[in-house]
Amino acid sequence: MTSVADAVRDGVIGERLWFYANYHCNLVCTYCLTESGPSVARRGLDPGWMLARAHEAKELGFGALGITGGEPFMVATMPETAAALGAVLPTVVLSNATLFAGSRLERVAEHLAGADVHVQVSLDAPNARDNDTQRGDGNWTSVTEAVPRLVERGVKVRIATTTEGLEPGDLDRLCSLHRSWGIPDTDHVVRPVVARGRAALAGMGVEAGPDDLAAELCLTADGAFWSAFGPTVRGGRVDTDLLVTRTTTPLQVPAAAMVRLAAGRPAGTDAVLGIR
Amino acid sequence: MSVVAPIPADQAPLLARPFYAGGDPGPIAATLAHVPELMEVTLPFVSTALSPSAVDARTKEIVIVRTSAILGCRYCVDTHTPVAIDAGLTVDEVRSLRMEPGPGVDEVFGSERERALVAWTDEVAGGRGRVQADLTRALRTHVSDHELVELTVLVGATMLLNRYATALELPVSAGTLARLAAAGFETGS
Repeated sequence: MTSVADAVRDGVIGERLWFYANYHCNLVCTYCLTESGPSVARRGLDPGWMLARAHEAKELGFGALGITGGEPFMVATMPETAAALGAVLPTVVLSNATLFAGSRLERVAEHLAGADVHVQVSLDAPNARDNDTQRGDGNWTSVTEAVPRLVERGVKVRIATTTEGLEPGDLDRLCSLHRSWGIPDTDHVVRPVVARGRAALAGMGVEAGPDDLAAELCLTADGAFWSAFGPTVRGGRVDTDLLVTRTTTPLQVPAAAMVRLAAGRPAGTDAVLGIR
Repeated sequence: MSVVAPIPADQAPLLARPFYAGGDPGPIAATLAHVPELMEVTLPFVSTALSPSAVDARTKEIVIVRTSAILGCRYCVDTHTPVAIDAGLTVDEVRSLRMEPGPGVDEVFGSERERALVAWTDEVAGGRGRVQADLTRALRTHVSDHELVELTVLVGATMLLNRYATALELPVSAGTLARLAAAGFETGS
């Protein structure tokens, strides 16, 4: 049987272990995979539990961690949690960046400046009109004000653009924007809307099965899933089509199941749609 | 309607998908799919325990129907009644195993081996503590060591399914109910 470390080394499964830290969010985006919003149940993962799994992940041979939600920074202790995970393995935290002002911003900077943690901020268009259609009124202004503040304070930032198709010139304008903040092109991800969750109900996005999604293990309050795009919510119910196991502890159980499922998968199929 | 909704094919978890390959896998599999890592070991186990093996299908169905009747599992009694008939049991034999009013097992079954099997099954499935030695001795004159092991696992596996199906209120399929009605069986007992 292939070990998890061998599978990560050989690219059978991805090196990153994801956590769905929580499901609630201060935004209600049109394409949200998890139907997140201010009033949804939090279904959060305990910070100590995540840290224990991070140590297990390192022992098993994973090489990186990811935190997503919901909006992870809706959890008050997220700066400390992200810093603690980053001390175990390189970590990326996905965020809408709309909470980074005042004392919250300073707490984020206090814990994440200089840490091996990237905050991956969503910005879907180079202008407020197109961005805010998907992400809500005022989002573009909030994000474009927050990112320079983070960068100035030494927090590593990436930009993620989720789109159904950019207008000509939009990508150049977006890249000019993030370059002006000191964020290189290698830290800018552009990906399609995936037809799951709220996007599916709205008729948006590309259909994606396991062959289209990176084989990255993702832990949630509902179990372990194939990819961070797996534990989606539609009509208030968690999708199970990309469920791997309900067992998440010990991590060896879902990790071994993931390796079995991914073994023999044609190489490169998950790169076709560019879902990252 | 069962207590837990069965998972439809388009929501089948990755480890559960092979069990959906032939179409509707039935309510036991479709509810077990909620816990795929449990499903992928449970279903092969119960399938191996309940399917014909070194022990013939008729013998196994005697044990399955009788155990299910002792445990009061409506789902398993009704679902296995047609299977038992297909395995060669007569309608009267099945009625006696289902403990329906009418002639009992000792009157219907002509084989000393099968009467000993039913008495032993009643004791293993319905008793508490030690199994009466005389019932085991009686069965031992007709079965080998490996057959006794298989039959003991069969009673246990059937009891597992009995309590699973009863606790989760799994529905008997419309096709099975129609077949039972055509054969004159009462359902939902």
